Amino acid sequence: MDENSQNITDDKPPFLGSWNKIYLLVFGELVVLIVLFYLFTKVLS
Amino acid sequence: MCGFTGFIVFYGAWKTRNTKNVDEYLRTGKSSSWWVVALSIMATQASAITFLSTPGQAYVDGMRFVQFYLGLPIAMIILSITAVPIYSKLNVYTAYEYLEIRFDLKNRVLGSILFLTQRGLAAGLTIYAPALILSVILGWSLNLTIIITGSLVIIYTAIGGTNAVNKTHILQMAIITIGMFASFFMIYFLLPKDISVIDAAFIAGKLGKLNAIDFSFNLNDRYTFWSGIIGGTFLMLSYFGTDQSQVARYLAAKNITQSRMGLLVNGIVKIPMQFIILFIGAMVFVFFQFVTPPLFFNPVETEKVKNGLYSNEYSRLENEFELLQDQKRKKLREMLDGSARNSLSSSEDIKNQLNKIAKREQEIKTSAKGIIKINNSEADTNDTNYVFITYIVNYLPIGLIGLLLAAILAASMSSTSAELNSLASTSLVDIYKRMINKNADDMHYLIFSKLATIGWGIYAIAFALLASELGSLIEAVNILGSLFYGTILGIFLVAFYTKKLSGNSVFISAIVAEALVIYSFFFTSIPFLWYNVIGCVIVIVLSFILNPILPKKENR
Repeated sequence: MDENSQNITDDKPPFLGSWNKIYLLVFGELVVLIVLFYLFTKVLS
Repeated sequence: MCGFTGFIVFYGAWKTRNTKNVDEYLRTGKSSSWWVVALSIMATQASAITFLSTPGQAYVDGMRFVQFYLGLPIAMIILSITAVPIYSKLNVYTAYEYLEIRFDLKNRVLGSILFLTQRGLAAGLTIYAPALILSVILGWSLNLTIIITGSLVIIYTAIGGTNAVNKTHILQMAIITIGMFASFFMIYFLLPKDISVIDAAFIAGKLGKLNAIDFSFNLNDRYTFWSGIIGGTFLMLSYFGTDQSQVARYLAAKNITQSRMGLLVNGIVKIPMQFIILFIGAMVFVFFQFVTPPLFFNPVETEKVKNGLYSNEYSRLENEFELLQDQKRKKLREMLDGSARNSLSSSEDIKNQLNKIAKREQEIKTSAKGIIKINNSEADTNDTNYVFITYIVNYLPIGLIGLLLAAILAASMSSTSAELNSLASTSLVDIYKRMINKNADDMHYLIFSKLATIGWGIYAIAFALLASELGSLIEAVNILGSLFYGTILGIFLVAFYTKKLSGNSVFISAIVAEALVIYSFFFTSIPFLWYNVIGCVIVIVLSFILNPILPKKENR
């Protein structure tokens, strides 16, 4: 490990205001994609 | 193609030629923005073999491979919450440094040696696999392709380190994305004039290639929703959280926010990207419904069998295959006909007839592969990797072929550069600087890092050249990866998610787990993918059992 550890600040994310909202966005997109893939499979097969 | 590849090497080396110290060389001086981190993470994961194989996978097996990535966003969230703050706050250069801080030196050395063993050989495979495919299709010399692509990567990676890797990753991802979309749009121009995009999707769907989601729970089925969500999450946690070739990408970020955003953007973009690549494969499948594909996509093996003792048998199969194509096209056009499409019974009837033709096609292909194997016992009868490159080389316009070959080479170079860079980092930080020469100056370590990059590059090229002599080594390398990955993941999971387990219990558990995995390999018939689970679970469970028994050193 670097002896001169720099200060790491846990800033806010660049948008949406909190990390929890960003995590929710990523997880929400996964859920939406799964639903879309399901519809895609059902409709086109 | 040559121009772009040459430019990548020149750009990477020139832009980073003034790298002054080890921190800049191994972590870009922690200066990368989140979008650079995100692109670099994606470029590292997108090897040439992924770019070549994925459309072929959809061609053969449909789009269900996309489920393999369903665990990735979940893993990105978990790592952003747990691993990223730990690595950032401890300001480490490698993931394995953390193991010494959490446990002790022996766990750090064990983790780094397992990584160096596995990733060193994998780097050889990353160079070898695309070189083999390109040499077979384009008639290039395999050894020369390996040496040239490997040497080009060594030049800019050795000069600029992580900075060069990240900067070239931006260009490489750009060319990969452009190539991907270009091949996607070209398919529609190459389809028969009377086949629309909707018709193409209709055909692909009816012939079972748009099977993106399968909710059935079947342990024997490799790609289902459940295996993707459960197994995929573990696999991605291991790859992105403990493999230095990926950890190095987000350790180069300016701060914890940039690291997290890089991982999370990857979590958002990766699945749609894989979906598009697989959809391209499904459309290539539709294209080959109207243009007769080769009976076997590897032209070298086809040529061998046609010039061998079994040429007559093979020709008979080719003729029957050609006749089936005519029948199939007729049925497909009937299926697309308005009345058949609107009438359920008529549509189902045609679908059944098409399935019968597809079944017979499969039988012919199996027979052809059997003849190829008899003709050449060392032949690889899996031609999935050759499907997309055959489409590119034989049906796309010249300029676009160059663009796509540049994209394939870019994908190969992006993965290899990240691997060499991470191997050099681990060699310096976890082995040389920690145990061999602790008190040298920064310039000494910088030179060592560059020499280590060159050394690992030569090692990877040498292995790739050896692999060309001994084809079976390829499978051995895949198995070798699985022999170590589970144990490494087990060590890190215990480190991240438990507080009281001691270094001694984890170290002994890891040794036992590794021994049992190796025993499973030599003395059981367990499929090798399960070694990952076995190694990981044994490390965790045994650590809990041994911890109360073994003497404890104070954990840091």
